[in-house]
Amino acid sequence: MKEVKLSTPLKEKDIRNLRIGDVVYISGIICTSRDMGHLKMQDVIGKGQKLPVDFTGGVIFHAGPVVKQKDNGYELSVIGPTTSIRMEPYSDFVGNLGVRVIIGKGGMEEGTSEALKKYGIVYLQAPPGCAVILGEKVKRIKDVFWKELGIPEALWVLEVEDFGPLVVGMDSGGNSIYRDIKIKGKKLIEKMF
Amino acid sequence: MYWTRERMSEEVYNLIVDCCLNIALDANELLQKTLDKETNNTAKSMLQTMLDDAKMAIKVDKPICQSPGYATVYISFGENANLEEIKDIKEIYAEAITKATKDGYLRPSMVHPLTRKNPGDNSGIGVPNFEFNFVRGQKYIDHILSFKGCGAELANAMKIMTTAQLGKNYIGLKKFIIETALAGGGKPCPPYAIGVGIGGQMDVACKIARQAVSIRDWRDSNPDPMLKELEDELCEKINSLKIGAAGTGGETSCLAVKIEMVSTHTAILPVGISFHCWVARRGGLRFYPDGQKEILFRRN
Repeated sequence: MKEVKLSTPLKEKDIRNLRIGDVVYISGIICTSRDMGHLKMQDVIGKGQKLPVDFTGGVIFHAGPVVKQKDNGYELSVIGPTTSIRMEPYSDFVGNLGVRVIIGKGGMEEGTSEALKKYGIVYLQAPPGCAVILGEKVKRIKDVFWKELGIPEALWVLEVEDFGPLVVGMDSGGNSIYRDIKIKGKKLIEKMF
Repeated sequence: MYWTRERMSEEVYNLIVDCCLNIALDANELLQKTLDKETNNTAKSMLQTMLDDAKMAIKVDKPICQSPGYATVYISFGENANLEEIKDIKEIYAEAITKATKDGYLRPSMVHPLTRKNPGDNSGIGVPNFEFNFVRGQKYIDHILSFKGCGAELANAMKIMTTAQLGKNYIGLKKFIIETALAGGGKPCPPYAIGVGIGGQMDVACKIARQAVSIRDWRDSNPDPMLKELEDELCEKINSLKIGAAGTGGETSCLAVKIEMVSTHTAILPVGISFHCWVARRGGLRFYPDGQKEILFRRN
């Protein structure tokens, strides 16, 4: 297990070097997206239009922030990860965008594991519920798109510094902490009674 | 009337803010104990971050978690209650939640279930959820407010089991609960508490499961010795799966199992399982007939 500091835009080589259990801190730009945000991205791409953000070497954070409206825009209050499994249907789509890191909580399934291998992506587990600590690592809100989807579902572009601690839960070699726990757990339950 | 609408609104607003900034004392204590005995380094780091987050939230006056979850207000009263004091209670809570949202304590998270449209202020049909309970002889009116995280809801399960499925020593029931915890993995923000409702019909089992994990002190001891034994056994067995804090491995994923039970029909065995994330945002107020007020679940 190693501790790694990365900056965006992320390089495929750096991502492919990461293994499950490694701890990562990210500096640079991360973008939030969840259920409605992913649907919207698919819709925009499906219509042959361009997304407002270039995701090449980028980070998708499964999250919706608490923000305060100020005269000159929004100020971030807190932010933390949402349950990632809901975004499982979009894993290949996201890989195609050039994303290198997905941050969330709870892990994802086999479709995502395949996409991580194919495109060279890692899934990072953020500390769940720790919105104040993670919010402190956000320097500013750089931009926001699709506000009509509601505050949690909008596409927030955030400038972050040493964002973490993030644990590699699924790597680009096809490994998954979540899968390992489930396989071992099933065997344990068989022996329990 | 002592508790005018204006004064009650102020109390309710303060209760909401207090819930957003704090986790209940029992959850905090159990998290600390979990950290003290944890051996997995990743889990240790996750647990330490959770405890730091809880401490920091109060200091910087910001919500402990970005998601306010789903709010339920549990009101209980006895035969001598002055019902005048609770006649506006639904409007008072709805308004206070909207105000707390504008003030940045709650993220606007409530949406139309089909169009998914977000009004932007946590207003909407049935917000917050209310449950009224008549308790014979209760001299006071109690309000218990719980913000229950909804990532945790994604791991919930319910099953109408049968006598055959219950099995010897209730093995079928135990397996259903333990398998549900394994399937939930890291989704319900472990370390979590699990509420189990046994009996009734579908809705009853689910409701008492939610109540158990939302209202009860996670450190309490079930007065029914058989249920206490079952709670302890399930908690230990779930932890032996080594799901760990955040679901990335470790000694403890389950802080407590809380079981509630009611009788059921001879043809069925409904079982509801309701997860509660570590962010136990629970608070309460007690109003006495002489105008005295007491804060429940005091922080210190």
